Amino acid sequence: MIEVRDAVKKFDGFAALDGASVMVPKGSVYGLVGPNGAGKSTLIRHLTGIYRQDGGTVRVDGEPVWENAALKARIAAIPDDWYYFMQSTVRDMMRFYKGFYPSFSTERYEKLKEVFNIDEKRAIRRLSKGMQKQVAFWLALSCMPDYLILDEPVDGLDPVMRRQVWSLVMGDVAQRGTTVLVSSHNLRELEDVCDHVGIMDHGKVLLERSLAQLQDNMVKLQVVFQDGVNEVPPELPVLHASKVGRIHTLIMRMSAEEATAKLSTYNPLLVDAVPLTLEEIFIYELGGADYAVKDIVL
Amino acid sequence: MISLNYRDSRPIYEQIKDGLRKLIVTGALRTGEKLPSVRALATQLSINPNTIQRAYNELEGEGYIYSVPGKGSFAAGNTGADEARRKELTEKLRELAAELKYLGVTGEELAALVSEAPEISGQNREKEETP
Repeated sequence: MIEVRDAVKKFDGFAALDGASVMVPKGSVYGLVGPNGAGKSTLIRHLTGIYRQDGGTVRVDGEPVWENAALKARIAAIPDDWYYFMQSTVRDMMRFYKGFYPSFSTERYEKLKEVFNIDEKRAIRRLSKGMQKQVAFWLALSCMPDYLILDEPVDGLDPVMRRQVWSLVMGDVAQRGTTVLVSSHNLRELEDVCDHVGIMDHGKVLLERSLAQLQDNMVKLQVVFQDGVNEVPPELPVLHASKVGRIHTLIMRMSAEEATAKLSTYNPLLVDAVPLTLEEIFIYELGGADYAVKDIVL
Repeated sequence: MISLNYRDSRPIYEQIKDGLRKLIVTGALRTGEKLPSVRALATQLSINPNTIQRAYNELEGEGYIYSVPGKGSFAAGNTGADEARRKELTEKLRELAAELKYLGVTGEELAALVSEAPEISGQNREKEETP
């Protein structure tokens, strides 16, 4: 279990983390989302023991991460700027990882060699950006970690490789109960792989739910009211409403059944409940926090 | 065996449920046949194993499948599906019928269509009962 409580981190007075709290249950896949500069990477660097928080606690399995080598040997991470030694080959880096991770499996490394199909004698700096990412996954998965922390991991990977690495990670989650925390802007992809989601903004975690809860607690409805009703009845608790022709699109914070029951009292001609995508939830949740696409014409 | 459409607005677990239901109802998965394990489906589709577990749990609640601890999930026979699902499908049929009528299909033609619908999982059950 990863547990961050009220973490504060200041850089020259600027609070990159301003009381962030995160709870990642064991064996879950947790998606961390948020606008640019929300503090996602800063939070992740605390989980891997790179930064030390100014306030609050950062614990994995009940132990603080900072300077805890035994704990960090069970956490593998792929940061957004993955580091490798300048002249090193894949094999050199493998030896380096092996030295830090007692659980490193050479057998798995050999197996994954066929998946990634990269010559292990090649210098990493001569590989393309996407191939370097593949090497990072190759090594991280070979470590057989209990915790896998990924900062925008699939950026730069081609569509086939994306599916491939997610398939490997999901296999690990199902078989070994690996706990995964992943930050990404690709909400469509997170929806497939995550079961928990945390939305960050301004150094805080605004909301943290299981994906099932998120999807059951907000609904999009397409409604056509009876003739004569042109406006959405004001007593309806609507989060967001828009209208095209006679069709009203309403976003409501309740389950689809509840919303349909509420609307049925108005005898509408049509009520169609559509589940929201994670992307829509993200937009409507942050819409309240002064974040929306601004209409600026240049 | 199940394909996910990433442009589909339905949540992934709904798509998995629909996919499996279709396989069971058409007889592609016979009564008593084992469903793929959660792990196999997670790696094959590259999606979260808990999502698949959720779909399996709900299908079990609806009576389409049953699970044996330690062995996996199996396609159940036609056990008289769950009331909620029956209501949902009836509603869908009503909508489809309304649209067909709008397009000029008569009530008799619709009734004929309904009575001609194949009863595949029913046949499966009979086969199982004969021996």
